[in-house]
Amino acid sequence: MKRRALRSIRFFSMPAILMVCVGILSLKPVAGQEFEGAYKIGILEPLTGPLAFEGKRHLEGFEIAREMINEQGGVMGKRLVFAVADAPDPTAAANEVNRLVTQEGVKIIVGTYSSTLCGAASSAAARHNIIYWETSCVDPRYAQRGLKNVYRTEIDANGFAWYMVEFTAKYLAPKLGKSPDELKVAFLSEDSSYGQGTTEAARKRAKEEFQMQEVSVDYYAALTTNDFTPILLKLKQAGPDILMAIGRGNDAILFWKQAKEKDLQVQALVSAGATGYGSPDFGKALGKDANGVFALLEPGPGFKIEALSPEGQQLERGFRERVEKQAGAVYGGHQLAGAGLWLLKIVLDKAQSDDPEKFRQAVLSLDLPVGSFLNGWGVKFQENGQNAGERVQHYMLQWQDGNLVTVWPEEFTTYRMKWMPFPPWDQRQ
Amino acid sequence: MDIFFQLLTTSLLLGGIYALMSVGLTLIFGVMRVVNFAHGEFIMLGMYLAFWGFTLYHLDPYVILLFSIPLFLAIGFLLYGMVMRGIIAASHNVQIFTTVGLSIALQNLALVLWTGDFRFVRLDYSKTVFRFWRSYVNLPQLIAFAIAAVLMLTLFALLRWTHFGKVVRATAQDREAAILMGIDPDRIHRLTFAMGITCAGVAGVLVSPLYSVYPTAGLQFVLIAYVVVVLGGLGNMIGALLGSLIVAGVEVMGSFLLGTAWKEVLYFLVFLLVLIFRPAGLLGQRGAETLGA
Repeated sequence: MKRRALRSIRFFSMPAILMVCVGILSLKPVAGQEFEGAYKIGILEPLTGPLAFEGKRHLEGFEIAREMINEQGGVMGKRLVFAVADAPDPTAAANEVNRLVTQEGVKIIVGTYSSTLCGAASSAAARHNIIYWETSCVDPRYAQRGLKNVYRTEIDANGFAWYMVEFTAKYLAPKLGKSPDELKVAFLSEDSSYGQGTTEAARKRAKEEFQMQEVSVDYYAALTTNDFTPILLKLKQAGPDILMAIGRGNDAILFWKQAKEKDLQVQALVSAGATGYGSPDFGKALGKDANGVFALLEPGPGFKIEALSPEGQQLERGFRERVEKQAGAVYGGHQLAGAGLWLLKIVLDKAQSDDPEKFRQAVLSLDLPVGSFLNGWGVKFQENGQNAGERVQHYMLQWQDGNLVTVWPEEFTTYRMKWMPFPPWDQRQ
Repeated sequence: MDIFFQLLTTSLLLGGIYALMSVGLTLIFGVMRVVNFAHGEFIMLGMYLAFWGFTLYHLDPYVILLFSIPLFLAIGFLLYGMVMRGIIAASHNVQIFTTVGLSIALQNLALVLWTGDFRFVRLDYSKTVFRFWRSYVNLPQLIAFAIAAVLMLTLFALLRWTHFGKVVRATAQDREAAILMGIDPDRIHRLTFAMGITCAGVAGVLVSPLYSVYPTAGLQFVLIAYVVVVLGGLGNMIGALLGSLIVAGVEVMGSFLLGTAWKEVLYFLVFLLVLIFRPAGLLGQRGAETLGA
């Protein structure tokens, strides 16, 4: 009898201790604010795997925006809290959405940075009939599926392409002494929905609206390309003035490094997005060799905060200060996440409800001009849940001595572009 | 014409890189017939070793190479005892599951320890390019190629002409008979596995000046390594070298002529054709492909 009793005690003691520990750990310190409780939303980002480097920056941006939101009264009178989920690939993304809805009971999910993840995640969310709030992801097909409760705060690949071509045709071409239809353009892109979406939209606009001459188009698989020599040789043969390139990460670094080795001479390289050429890793890897490369991003150094509305200025300054303190520098990932989450707060303030119908009405009723809040954005959503390109102001940044600085539009920045057109490699500073 | 020479040079150098990646796998999969899907992760660990040695102690990767050998041998022995010994005699499915698990564990260990940021070994001379035979050649690539060739030839000689090599091949061909001949298969497996892991680590150190270092860096190479090993003929070092050159050549020429999106289609097509007509691989022994099944 005694032995059995001892065995039972031993059997139950471990789970009991664990339960007590969990109980103690779940007690949270009471916040200083007067909240009527907490409102939980789901956050879905790639925190492990090949996209983790950017997913983590998004999460940081969300956390900082959340702090600021809670300082200003939270959402719907409640403190905003997160249920964070990791989505390293599309399958995990869909599974995590299911888990967030069924086990964490969230009604709104925010995410997910990557064009390869947002489709799967938003479809899963739509099946549960909850709200899916995307803050990044540029696949153009995302907004074309007729899903009523799926939204996106950032412009899509079409928007990226629109700005890339706008910059090249209206600002860069005159500076190079050519008219847009005299420019020879080559396109080089990684082959995911992000690269393809942006490149195809850019090709279309370049040809149809500005009659730019397309000399070469090439897609490659970012993760498995170990050598760009064949592409470089083709480009040398084609002799473009402008190279519009979309990279994913490591491929951009390898390409530009080999471009120097094989002496590829172009007048400018224009890219878009915070991955590839616009990633801080690009500058860190290549140092001075990165100088002169353009990337379309959220506003960086040189951004004239005074060009924003007074409210926008306050938000922008507060956000930047906190991000710099925590992460050392403000990256595109932070800015997209922060602005996206802040926009969610604006919607919830108006709707005062997470009922999908009321939420949707609030979303469609918003109409703020450029310069209203973070990143100099405005807001106006279209029927398909996409925030309009003209309101989501984007900026062209250029690598200058290890930093990506804002050079366009000129009215928003103090910096100007340098070194255009590119001199021969051995003469570059 | 310049273009042709450049493509040829690039094919050779890239072939050298692929050969380097495949040496270790030829030993482990080709000779021992043990499936190791964590092969790419050991390459990644070698890259990180070079990165940290360079960043913290300012050591040249080629110096790090020297003490990476005993380090990876030790890792190989340790991992063999912890993970591989139990599955050496098991079916290939078990080996695949176990080594895929090992691969995921190592990738995420690297992610936790060193974050997902891309790291670089920026040597003063990693950008040195010189014109050779009407094409541009990158110095670290050339060194990697040279060392790959030496390594492959050494291992080939070892397996073909030394007693140890004979013992290794015997154990792979028939474990029971080897035991009867007085060979301790466990010892041989441990040694070969450790040697294979060391080759992968060495490969990682050598390519660190060329590619970014990040937790999933191994994925770039592991599938190609498998193709090379099977294409060349399981267990044949010269075959693996030949396989690397063919894969690299098809990739480079195909990318230039058809577009980079086609490269994998092309070398897998070559792979399929070779296997249909020569199931043992290009230089493999007929019937050898059934060993270790």
